[in-house]
Amino acid sequence: MIAFWVLAPIMVVSAIAMVMARKAVHCALLLAVIMISLAVLYAVQNAPFLFAVQIVVYTGAVLMLFLFVLMLVGVDSSDSLVETLRGQRVTAVVLGLLFGLLVVVAISQATLGSVVGLADASEQAGGNVKGIAALLFSRYVFAFEVTSALLITAALGAMVLAHRERLTPKPTQRDMVTQRMHDYATSGIHPGALPGPGSFARHNSVDTPALLPDGTVSELSISRVMRARGTVRDVSRDRAGEREIETESRQIEEGNT
Amino acid sequence: MMSQSTVLATVLAAASFDKPTIAYGRLSPLLVVFGIALVGVVVEAFAPRERRYVIQTALALLGLGVSLLAVIGVGLDLKTNNDGASRGSVEAMGAIAVDGPSLFIWGTLLVFSLICVLLFAERHLEGGITAFAGQAAALPGTEAEREASSRGIEHTEVFPLMMFAIGGMMLFASANDLLTMFVALEVLSLPLYLLCGLARRRRLISQESALKYFLLGAFSSAFFLYGIALVYGFAGSFRLGEIDTAVSSTVGGSSLLLAGMALMAVGLLFKVSAAPFHAWTPDVYQGAPTAVTAFMAACTKVAAFGALLRVFYVALGGVRWDWQPMMWVIAALTMAIGSVIAITQTDIKRMLAYSSIAHAGFLITGFVGAQQGIEVAGQQISSLQAVMFYLVAYGFTTIGAFAVVTVVRDAGGETTHLSRWAGLGREAPVVAGVFAFFLLAFAGIPLTSGFTSKWAVFTSAWAGGAWPLVVVAVLMSVVAAFFYVRVIVVMFFSEPVGDGPTVAVPSILTSITITVGAAMTLILGVVPQPVFDLARTAGEFIR
Amino acid sequence: MSTTPFLVLSAMLFGVGAVGVLVRRNAIVVFMCVELMLNAANLAFVTFSRQHGNFDGQIAAFFVMVVAAAEVVVGLAIIMTIFRTRRSASVDDASLLKY
Repeated sequence: MIAFWVLAPIMVVSAIAMVMARKAVHCALLLAVIMISLAVLYAVQNAPFLFAVQIVVYTGAVLMLFLFVLMLVGVDSSDSLVETLRGQRVTAVVLGLLFGLLVVVAISQATLGSVVGLADASEQAGGNVKGIAALLFSRYVFAFEVTSALLITAALGAMVLAHRERLTPKPTQRDMVTQRMHDYATSGIHPGALPGPGSFARHNSVDTPALLPDGTVSELSISRVMRARGTVRDVSRDRAGEREIETESRQIEEGNT
Repeated sequence: MMSQSTVLATVLAAASFDKPTIAYGRLSPLLVVFGIALVGVVVEAFAPRERRYVIQTALALLGLGVSLLAVIGVGLDLKTNNDGASRGSVEAMGAIAVDGPSLFIWGTLLVFSLICVLLFAERHLEGGITAFAGQAAALPGTEAEREASSRGIEHTEVFPLMMFAIGGMMLFASANDLLTMFVALEVLSLPLYLLCGLARRRRLISQESALKYFLLGAFSSAFFLYGIALVYGFAGSFRLGEIDTAVSSTVGGSSLLLAGMALMAVGLLFKVSAAPFHAWTPDVYQGAPTAVTAFMAACTKVAAFGALLRVFYVALGGVRWDWQPMMWVIAALTMAIGSVIAITQTDIKRMLAYSSIAHAGFLITGFVGAQQGIEVAGQQISSLQAVMFYLVAYGFTTIGAFAVVTVVRDAGGETTHLSRWAGLGREAPVVAGVFAFFLLAFAGIPLTSGFTSKWAVFTSAWAGGAWPLVVVAVLMSVVAAFFYVRVIVVMFFSEPVGDGPTVAVPSILTSITITVGAAMTLILGVVPQPVFDLARTAGEFIR
Repeated sequence: MSTTPFLVLSAMLFGVGAVGVLVRRNAIVVFMCVELMLNAANLAFVTFSRQHGNFDGQIAAFFVMVVAAAEVVVGLAIIMTIFRTRRSASVDDASLLKY
């Protein structure tokens, strides 16, 4: 009973915090707290098998799946606080609390009689796991078999909704070379690599275009994205400066002679 | 060596495990359907793409046909029990009741599924491909989607999914313990959630309907589950018969039982789309591919009513006075909401969804009468039989109506806005006439199955003392008739807007579905006796 | 060890989960709240199992876990599909279908 009185407040607080937390990841972590506490409560209530399954299946598999999807969706996805339907939140909370109160009252009013406990049943079956197995494979064997339909449906559904089959074969290196040579033959597109960015005495960076032998700028040497952003370095001024230096030096040379 | 075997023997003796006995013959209808679903999955994995459609369609039709034969075979073999009211036995270690009503519902489900498979397999209307998404994983409106579409790719996985859903429905209606019933509920729901999101056209609303159906379905099944937990807490068992024993041996209602009963009712009433748990129905029916909508509207309703009746008659029959008032309110509310809100609808599929809600209300009216077979004299039929007859009649009509919706099209696929149906009577008198006939059947006009089935449930409810409810039901039928007639007026007496609707010529498959739907609506309206007799022969639930 | 405190805790968790489903907007969080409700039901099953001294309740909890695992796969697949098309997992944005 000590375990219960320690864990119960933690669970209720985590549950309420889970409903209030804005970030989805916090919700998942609070849910993990509740699930692990539940596992302990199962262990306290003579259900060692469920204790293990709760940890392995619920906390280990189901919750991790939630976290994976949260990663895909964006970890910091959070709820907006805008109410779409006016008064819906308040109504929902009031209705939910009323409903919860009703169930709590119904349960605490119920005359349950004395607790039988599982000691006898466990002893008779030769242990908790054996008792569960005996029941699972006799009384509930059909339901057990039918759960396979559920698992297959889940696998099939995940495949249908998430898997995209390749409709065209992936091009091999040979295909790509043939295509490149074909393009060169028909439209004169250069088959080799694009020219690299220019390098100057002061710069060696991707925002500086390369210069062709005649001094003009090679448009191919600069990424399209940078040109669209307007961050390409204007090299005409540099070239103008260079020309000035050249003339000056030539004049000096001339003057000397 | 010797000692080892002795140890083993002691261990086995301690466990005292009895090998379960399962009468495979009696369960063969279920096993065939699940088996075909599994074969379908294997076909998906190994058959070349271009052959899958033919193989899957043939497998589905074959499997459903064999299963139907098996139902007939088991039905002929059914023995009357000692109590004189029920026939059949409890099979699979007490998990499944193979009794008259189960077999009747299995047969109904299989026949409906057979004609729905034809709708699923229709390829003519979309120009050589089915109405399901080519690649569900490709985003709507992208190059990948167009490419899949132009290559004629189609998801044939819908057939195994449908078979799993049918298997789940059959199990749901015949489960004899609440745990099996819960598993069956999920087996039938999960494939339906997926199928809803697989439309080829208007994929955004299709996916949205899948999301809505899934979230609300999971919510409602959580309520159902908690209800099961409380009822288990009351009775100490999941078996319907043992719950019945516990219920009748308790004096006065226990709060645990009442709370559990109410929560279980939420889960079941959600599936039959009764108010106030109906909110998902219009959205899901509108967004889902029309073939899936037809399948859901007919088959889910049959299965869910089978389960609802079994739980409330067999397990909770002893506290009938506690649940009847609740069901009275729900029946009246469902009929009112379904009939009144339908008037404002401008979309055909949405209107049919509200009509389906209203029909759920009429069915619950029949169900609250709770007339047991023993109580009724002579030629009268019990509530269970009246409801079963209504389900048969309604199912054929609704599948037929949705099948007609699939053939009225414009450039963007099916055109479901009511204004686009204006002048359909001139464009295609036959299709419009058939649709008008279905609407008249929904309204309950004599000479259609709608009339005989309404008559059946109303008389049984009247005999059960629910006459105020019958008065409400008749009033609501009149209100409902108003909007059915409005659609007929729009089709026949108003000028077409713009180009007007076009009626695509479907292949033989959809034609068969529409013909069977119309023919059965007429036959059940004129000579209902054979089906009534069959329902009467089915008898009551086994206890 | 009385069972009533366990049952009251289970009912409280169930109620909080139900409120969460109604007030939250993110589809994934809504689904987590449904999982909380299923867990609450499981606690009730295990507690009633001890109350009655039979294993049926524990079997039920076991089945619920299997069902929940399958449901999570299908549900998250559907939510992911919606998210990939709309870049939003908010149930408020899913508003094409109304009236």
